Amino acid sequence: MSGGVRVFAEYRRDFEEVCDVVVVGSGPGGAVVARELAAAGKDVILLEEGPPFTPEDFELDGAVSMARTMREGGLRTTGGTIMATMQANALGGGSLVNSAICVRAPEPTLDGWCDEFGLAQTTRADLDPHYQAIEDFLGIAPTPDDVQGPRNLLFRDACNALGYSSEPIARNVRGCRGSGECFTGCRSRAKQSTDISYVPAAVADGARVFTSAQVQRLLMRGSRVWGVAGQIVRPFTGQPSYRFRIQARIVVLAAGCMATPVLLQRSEDFANGSGQVGENLQFHPGVAAMGVFPHETHPQFGATQGYQSLEFVRDGYKLETLWAPPGVFAVRLPGLGHELKKNLSMIPRAAIWDAIATCNRSKGRVRARRRGLDPALTWRLDPKDLTILVEALWRITELFFTAGAERILPGVHGLPDELLSMDEARRIRTRQFRETDFTLAGNHVFSTTRMHGDGRLGVVDEDGRCHDTDNLYIADTGILPRSPSVNPMLTLMALAHRTGQRIAERL
Amino acid sequence: MLSAMFLWLVAIALGALGIRRFFAGYSAAPVGVRTLSAPEYQTASAAAQVLYPEGGAIAASGGSARVALHTDGFVGAQTSGNRILMRLLLVLIEHATLVFPAHGPHGRRRFSALDSEQQLAYLEGWRGSETAARRLVFTSLRAILTMGYFADPEVLRSLGLAPRDIERSVIEADLLWPPIGEHPRSIPFSARDLTGRVEEGRPLGPTGPLHPDFR
Repeated sequence: MSGGVRVFAEYRRDFEEVCDVVVVGSGPGGAVVARELAAAGKDVILLEEGPPFTPEDFELDGAVSMARTMREGGLRTTGGTIMATMQANALGGGSLVNSAICVRAPEPTLDGWCDEFGLAQTTRADLDPHYQAIEDFLGIAPTPDDVQGPRNLLFRDACNALGYSSEPIARNVRGCRGSGECFTGCRSRAKQSTDISYVPAAVADGARVFTSAQVQRLLMRGSRVWGVAGQIVRPFTGQPSYRFRIQARIVVLAAGCMATPVLLQRSEDFANGSGQVGENLQFHPGVAAMGVFPHETHPQFGATQGYQSLEFVRDGYKLETLWAPPGVFAVRLPGLGHELKKNLSMIPRAAIWDAIATCNRSKGRVRARRRGLDPALTWRLDPKDLTILVEALWRITELFFTAGAERILPGVHGLPDELLSMDEARRIRTRQFRETDFTLAGNHVFSTTRMHGDGRLGVVDEDGRCHDTDNLYIADTGILPRSPSVNPMLTLMALAHRTGQRIAERL
Repeated sequence: MLSAMFLWLVAIALGALGIRRFFAGYSAAPVGVRTLSAPEYQTASAAAQVLYPEGGAIAASGGSARVALHTDGFVGAQTSGNRILMRLLLVLIEHATLVFPAHGPHGRRRFSALDSEQQLAYLEGWRGSETAARRLVFTSLRAILTMGYFADPEVLRSLGLAPRDIERSVIEADLLWPPIGEHPRSIPFSARDLTGRVEEGRPLGPTGPLHPDFR
């Protein structure tokens, strides 16, 4: 079969296509399913609303990059508890603009999923072969020391000094040069985002890829789907043009935890016999702080996120290093005028460390708006989960001072702009915080079409197949029944790998 | 009859005052501004200069870094809903002096018409407010302006944060699609051009050459 990638400039008229399987979304879930099916000889069409990026298309200006690669220009927020959350809109989805972290979910976490959500085949032992297949394909390996850069190694040293476990983060990169540009797109092509890994592999196996193709609704007949319909949209502006319909024996939705439930809701609330579509919205809210050292750290060099500590995963949070375009993270720095400039001038001596928290008590929902495909999000941080974030912030300050930081800029209302000692940092543990004191961000999103063994309580089964219909599958983080405790990409890819195999066996 | 006429006169007077407050006395936005109105541009310029004044730890100011122009481009690149919200944010900052007047004489003037110390104190009031919504407004404003400040190559160079040059490699994916907006005919590579990853794994460092846009 002859595959290929169609881009916006190639569309000349409305069109219809027929295939075995149509996959909606080319991120870590959809690209893996598409490739598995194409490799099995199935006729696959992969639809992606965003454009494919070349290195020349990457913008180093963080603001412009967000506007070009993210939905709603990167300014999407939740209602309820206000929290920023970003979802990508590009070939490769989130893998194009994430920091390439690939971590297997801990065994107890997956055991918990099985116990609480009636799952029988999703233990760590069940998923390990799928994890391994993904790791082998993408060359996932721990970040080597020579591209860590000082800010990552300082984190390691602090963990060692405190007796906390730490490890170089395993990432889907080949030949990383430590540019620290993961979030704006990897110019050195080291990151094995799905646009340059799984999508080309699927194309080589015959898959047809249509970019700038926005799916707007499912095509249903009775309790089955027979395809999808939508419009071609211009890159960045979203201006609609030609219409398309794809007829398929099986439809796989991998549009993302926000977009997939909206698509189902806009398709007559299809596959929602359980009432769970769009419910159970969960995040990994993150807190971060900047530590300033007496010496230069050259923070722009080194892996974007090179080291992590899983020491406190059982307590609900994971500690890690972070780098982002300076204009993006500087948003959190305190001050105005000359004070702000002084704080910014310390960036060359700084490191940013953060924590992502498992907040299982904090839930929300996704709803389709009256117009358009952008979701209305509501989510509320539970007070008990807030204590996890506070504790995580305390650990970050402890690590910074242990590493030799001379000051910490926590960026939290109610704390001093600068913490100069552990004594000052102890205020973190004594103060009563409110959720609004934190500038929260949460880019890991889960559970809006959750997997459950009981069709009355979940949307899909362990194969990713919707309980309500036998030819509609979901393969994005919406199917995770709750937080995987760590970064979700690898677990999603492992589940998608299994889904691809199961569909191939059926056809 | 008389009271109705009085009410009309009051309404007309208030309308005139409103027009004067919201529209009068602004200088035209410079050439190249496409999205923001002249008042919005002036608000963004004034706020950028308060956040990033002349001198201090970093030489570039909000004005020299052309933060307001960047803001105009950033707002223009957003969805229509976000554009409205961002423009309303600027209008709010400009006119909320009516509700939260700046200290000192004539503290209810428009934000952009306050003197620089009043502007600083006024924004400080938003930053440190005990009302979360006010802090959120300030954080949003600072986010937009700070991204503009760091878009200036001079700011990044002065902090040693300018991106480094990375030699272009050619991989299989480069044969599959063109730069955004172009036709596949314009893909500049063929299979003979494949390089693998250039200088694979050699870490970048502070002594490497700068990206051409930042030299």
